[in-house]
Amino acid sequence: MVMGDIVTGCDVLVIGGGPGGYTAAIRASQLGRDVVLAERYDLGGACVYRGCIPSKTLIHAANLIYDIKNPGNIGIKASVEFDYKKIQERRFEVVKKLRDGIGNLCKKYGVQVIKGEAYLESSDKARITSHDGTTSTFEFGNAIIATGSRSQELPGLPFDGKLVIDSNEALGLMKVPEDLVIIGAGYISAELGTMFAKLGTKVKIVQRSSRILTRFDPEVVEVVSQKMKKLGIEIYYNSKFRGLREDNNKAVVKISEDKGIETELRADKVLIAVGIRPNTEKIGLENTRIELDERGFIKVDEKRRTTDPKIFAVGDVSGPPFVAHKAFREGKVAAEVIAGLPSAFDNRSIPETVFSDPEIATAGLDEVSARKSGFEIKTGKFPFRASGSALTMDSTDGFVKVVSGMNGEILGINIVGANASMLIGEASHSIEMAAFLEDLAGTIHPHPTLSEALAEAAEAALGKVVHI
Amino acid sequence: MVDVKFPDVGEGITEGTLVKWLVKIGDEVKADQAVAEIETDKAIVEIPTSKGGKVSKLYGKEGDIIKVGSTIVTLALPGEEMRIPEAELPEVKPQEKPVEVKPEIKIPEKPAEVPQRVLAAPATRRLARELGVDISAVAGSGPGGRVTDEDIRKFAELKHEVEPVAVQPLPEMKPAEERIQIKGIRKTIGERMVKSLFTAPHVVSMDEADVTELVSLREKEKKLAQEKGVKLTYLAFIIKAATVALKQHPYLNASLDAQKNEIVLKRYYNIGIAVDTPEGLMVPVIKNADQKSIMELAKEGERLAEEARNRKIKLPDLKGNTFTITNIGSIGGIFSTPIINPPDVAILGVHRIRDMPVVIDGEVRVRKIMPLVLSFDHRVLDGAQAARFMNTLIEHLEDPDLLLLDVM
Repeated sequence: MVMGDIVTGCDVLVIGGGPGGYTAAIRASQLGRDVVLAERYDLGGACVYRGCIPSKTLIHAANLIYDIKNPGNIGIKASVEFDYKKIQERRFEVVKKLRDGIGNLCKKYGVQVIKGEAYLESSDKARITSHDGTTSTFEFGNAIIATGSRSQELPGLPFDGKLVIDSNEALGLMKVPEDLVIIGAGYISAELGTMFAKLGTKVKIVQRSSRILTRFDPEVVEVVSQKMKKLGIEIYYNSKFRGLREDNNKAVVKISEDKGIETELRADKVLIAVGIRPNTEKIGLENTRIELDERGFIKVDEKRRTTDPKIFAVGDVSGPPFVAHKAFREGKVAAEVIAGLPSAFDNRSIPETVFSDPEIATAGLDEVSARKSGFEIKTGKFPFRASGSALTMDSTDGFVKVVSGMNGEILGINIVGANASMLIGEASHSIEMAAFLEDLAGTIHPHPTLSEALAEAAEAALGKVVHI
Repeated sequence: MVDVKFPDVGEGITEGTLVKWLVKIGDEVKADQAVAEIETDKAIVEIPTSKGGKVSKLYGKEGDIIKVGSTIVTLALPGEEMRIPEAELPEVKPQEKPVEVKPEIKIPEKPAEVPQRVLAAPATRRLARELGVDISAVAGSGPGGRVTDEDIRKFAELKHEVEPVAVQPLPEMKPAEERIQIKGIRKTIGERMVKSLFTAPHVVSMDEADVTELVSLREKEKKLAQEKGVKLTYLAFIIKAATVALKQHPYLNASLDAQKNEIVLKRYYNIGIAVDTPEGLMVPVIKNADQKSIMELAKEGERLAEEARNRKIKLPDLKGNTFTITNIGSIGGIFSTPIINPPDVAILGVHRIRDMPVVIDGEVRVRKIMPLVLSFDHRVLDGAQAARFMNTLIEHLEDPDLLLLDVM
């Protein structure tokens, strides 16, 4: 504590400057609130530094390299050289632009940004400690916790930043590893595994169950796992991590496969991608009335209020899915509720995208989850090999699958294929607007584009498709 | 074998609704044990058995209308064999197992019912929140049952107009109209009000009392009452003032015997107090109110109102009124025209006390004003009598000392 510590008042204190936090701060400020935003590193959060942006920048480069090398049957012959260091330098440029952009927005909307770690001393007071040790105390009307999440460690195998790394460190590697073992087969594993394979790494994925990407429709995943196989990625299904030793600066990962066969995998790096845990420690939650759910996330209601009436929580710290766009929306909802507006996080669709090859993008429910929720459903599928646009791009893997209730209400749209992530916005909007199959089928989609496949899939569900 | 019948509970009651079985087939019951709850026009009554035995048959199911005198339960007396016709078992069985959530029940992979999703765009959902409308209760008029902004606005208006109906939306279907069967208390209220209004020529007399002093007296004594566990209500003072006025104006504490062409003046003062209950209006009666202190009146009024709201009130507590007071002021409104509660010949309506400008000695002052209305039966009373009664009443409300003098 510094001498003469003065308590400053503010309407809203936002803890964490990631997608949820800075959005909440700016929106609250736009609504006339006096806002302080505490961020311990730089503005932007995992999205800008450790997740979305760095990974997509590198994946874009890896895809270019791969596509040039593998132009398919379109009549091009080319060879490619690349400088991974330069690719990484461009990544830093992209990150810097975004970080500065967020800083400017905060300035523009009058958000007071304080670099330091915030600690809640009570339900209406927090201390922010800067890196140089100075502290300032804020009394707030409301607080919004947006402290995000981090990679889950494997029990008994802490990240060492050398051999055992998390996704953030994997993205930060300045040299493409020769051999990479990935424990876990969620979206991080699929994205980074594919990326490194395209950059020339021998990738091995160790997965506990008999499937990868278990969150998604098996039919969708099948298209991706076929391609992963083609890229030379080896997936060890039903396999458990048994131990790790170091040998000559390399990691030797011991796993037990199906039927108990033990195998040793050698790798330059072992990437642990087994899950995500919320950042709920060291922020003084115990001094408030905030409760956590059974998985350790902060409990929130539709208005993103915690069990402490003055405090809100948004983004990863308040539960899955761990996507920036959910945090953006939640941040706005929390700020608007604080400003007295009738906002609520009542979204039907939180789209999810996997930047695998081909991409996966989903909105709403899939066939399995819809049935599990009790819906009687109809489905309609349109394969990209029947799409004129996909043919022109020589990119015909994948399909669009529409899931609707028996009344025709669209419950979900699942896409696997080139640019799936770019197509899912329309799907999400349809679900949010409570569109019926007829609405999607009756909308004119430009030809020749991949977006036509959405209308075609809806027609297929209606039983009157023309193009297949 | 012995049959337990729905006995004549008096008050001209001929039927009731079987609300709840208190026993099931095979139960051993003792003499005087209640076997069922039946809701009559007046209250819920528990039906006891006069003999002990084993329940061998239940007649009807919960919700059925039961006529007075009909058998509801058959008991096998000790020593008698239980004869249960097998074919009847399945029909009776559901009552044996009331719905209860058992923790060990596994949630099936596929729920039995298709989930109901609200079909509405985000902007419409937001509008619903803005107007405080539960969107899941709104019937959508758009294609495929989609809820439109217009639907939300209409619903919000409707909700405003008929609040009590709108707050209990049907869970599954939402038709544009809802039909509620008139039975029980609602039916009784209707019948009695029609009879009263179309038999007795009603005249309403309206006046105001300056209760500034009464307000300060109550404020002062409220704490003392609280220490004794009594919520000192204005109603208690009003009942007291009314009994004083009734004694001075006996024609208001009367009834009309139309057959004999006689007016019956009553020398006992049983004051009915109108109570708003979830089921509808009920009028419990404070007996011999003139002999009770204000504290006692407050206490008894509170108890009777509570019992009426919980449907725990006994039939005798709902009978024998000679004059009725309806305290609408606790809910709202400035004036009203109450309908006389038979067999009374008058009903007093009491309204909300408000700060009002009053001219006193040529000066405008702010005083606590309580509007009063008196509906009376013109066959028995004339306007002059009613006005005189009101004057006495107002006099006592305006000068609570006078009220206390009368008590002594």
